Amino acid sequence: MRFLVIEDDPQTAEFIVKGLREDGHAADAAKDGREGLFLATTETYDAIVLDRMLPAVDGMTVLRTLRGAGNATPVLMLTALGEVEHRVEGLRAGADDYLAKPFAYAELSARLDSILRRGSAGGAEPTRLAVGDLELDLLKREARREGKRIELQPREFRLLEYLMRQAGRVVTRTMLLEAVWDYHFDPQTNVIDVHISRLRQKIDHGFATTMLQTVRGAGYRLDA
Amino acid sequence: MINPLRSTSRRLATLVSLSFLLAFIVLGGGVFYAVSAMLDKDARDVVRAQSQALVELRRDAGGPALLAEVRDRTEAPDDPDGAYAVVDRHGRRLAGAALDLPPGFAAGVPAIAVPAWYEYADANTDDNARTIARAVRLPDDGVLLVGLRARAQDGFRRLMLRVALAAGLAAAALGLLLGWSTARWVASRLDAFDRTAARVGEGAMALRVRTDDSGDVFDRLAQRFNGMLDRIEVLLAGVRHATDHIAHDLRTPLSRLRNRLDLLRSDVAPAQRASLDAALGETDQLLATFGALLRLARIEAAPVATDAPDVALKPLVDDAVELYAPSAAERGIHIDVHATPATLAGDADQLFQMLLNLLDNAVKYSPDGGRIGVTLAALPQGIRIEVTDAGAGIPEPERQRVFDRFERLESHRGSPGSGLGLSLVRAVVRHHGGQVRLLDAGPGLRVQVDFPPR
Repeated sequence: MRFLVIEDDPQTAEFIVKGLREDGHAADAAKDGREGLFLATTETYDAIVLDRMLPAVDGMTVLRTLRGAGNATPVLMLTALGEVEHRVEGLRAGADDYLAKPFAYAELSARLDSILRRGSAGGAEPTRLAVGDLELDLLKREARREGKRIELQPREFRLLEYLMRQAGRVVTRTMLLEAVWDYHFDPQTNVIDVHISRLRQKIDHGFATTMLQTVRGAGYRLDA
Repeated sequence: MINPLRSTSRRLATLVSLSFLLAFIVLGGGVFYAVSAMLDKDARDVVRAQSQALVELRRDAGGPALLAEVRDRTEAPDDPDGAYAVVDRHGRRLAGAALDLPPGFAAGVPAIAVPAWYEYADANTDDNARTIARAVRLPDDGVLLVGLRARAQDGFRRLMLRVALAAGLAAAALGLLLGWSTARWVASRLDAFDRTAARVGEGAMALRVRTDDSGDVFDRLAQRFNGMLDRIEVLLAGVRHATDHIAHDLRTPLSRLRNRLDLLRSDVAPAQRASLDAALGETDQLLATFGALLRLARIEAAPVATDAPDVALKPLVDDAVELYAPSAAERGIHIDVHATPATLAGDADQLFQMLLNLLDNAVKYSPDGGRIGVTLAALPQGIRIEVTDAGAGIPEPERQRVFDRFERLESHRGSPGSGLGLSLVRAVVRHHGGQVRLLDAGPGLRVQVDFPPR
């Protein structure tokens, strides 16, 4: 994979670029909006990490210009903290995800992974989700594994739905808190873990394989 | 509680008032004495002149002429305050008014010192007038008495006393007022210091005492005081900067270390995997702590939210409790919620994290099977959120300290946690203009968060 990191803070840029390279990706860094826009339009990237606050041309302008020119490269926006309306604004302008600083590298990596997939999925919104022998009927709000009905609380249903949509990929605790509870920060406690272990109890207990895996230092992954 | 500044102002007012009164008494007494003496001297001069004139008349024209003159003057006085009499050697009145004889006058004994001055209150007058009199022995051993009713002088003296009394009272009242207002002024200037110091102590580090550039002692004190606060703020910021930079700079190598450990994990035999897992876990904990530290630094550095959107707090409280209910239930802990709808301008994510941290602590330190109380109330004095647990509580002297970064109670050193939870709570509360207090729930801890009304 090839990524473009547009970030004016050299420390943060280095933190991201090094992480990506160690993961075996190629990464270019741009230190302001103008350079970033130039690279984004002249080269081809799988995804762009874009800081919102940039000298010369700011992140929002870069994003609008790219989208205006029909460039659909997935964009992960970075922001300083406490900018709820900025997040909404960023997503409206065509960002695929939003990450508040400071973040752990595992968080960034999981989110990049998620938006890469999102870009390639497309198509109509499904009414059923299936991962291996686990099925979720979004209309009837029903979950089954090997045809056996699993009783879920509404919150557990949303949790499972999100995990199934991201099947095979790592989702972090922050991503779960965001998608299932709609709060945006790193919870730093094991409170999400308890919800996951309850869900795991329901979907994995009594079955041959454990589908819901814990990924050390990152989060969870649902696999067939 | 007695306000020391108020009692100082009372003391100062009394002191100034008494000083005014004392100064007035000394000054007024001196003037009164001098004026009285002068008035009496004038009266005596008149009496002396009159008696000399009469003595000369007798010498020139003889005894009967004197008697005639005295009778004449008594019947048709030029001066209503003058009184004249001639008595014989036995004290019998030969002519004139009924003046008292001088003290020590004994009938037939011509031994009194003459001329003799004496003073008495004359009972023969309607108003008991003070009379200044002079007795002069005549050649026939009779005595000429000349007296002056000191009515004018005494009237003047009385008037002077009345005026002095009124002025003295006015001076005392003025002193009281002056002392009180001086003390009030001083107290109000000092109150500003007191209030600022108290607010700064509660954490409003940016607050300063107002200076007026007058260069007076209060202004100088204010400038020094502010200088001191500036210095403290710089030092605190320095410490914070250092920690934040360390956190920032160490994140990259730490992430790298973590990733290497993770890669290594798949290469080693399962037996060695456990120790690698422990190392990975600790690295993750470190990274999480650094992340929390940086987030804390960012919240503290952000300006106080002013035009932030309204956040409904009840859903936040309900969500937080719902999120924590499973963790609590695992240990048989029940969470009671009493929440009334309330809105606050602010950042929903920060406020939610504040609630999570409070609940996290409450669950962590509650005994198994305990109860946790969560209340949200919109009071006239603002919005109050309380989280109460039945744990061991925090001893009074430790309560301020636990808000500082990495400060943890000695008794909790062994348990997991970064020591940043309450620091973050305080940062979020301050960011929203509120205050957080730790109270005794007897037994347990009550965390009280107050946000002022808009």
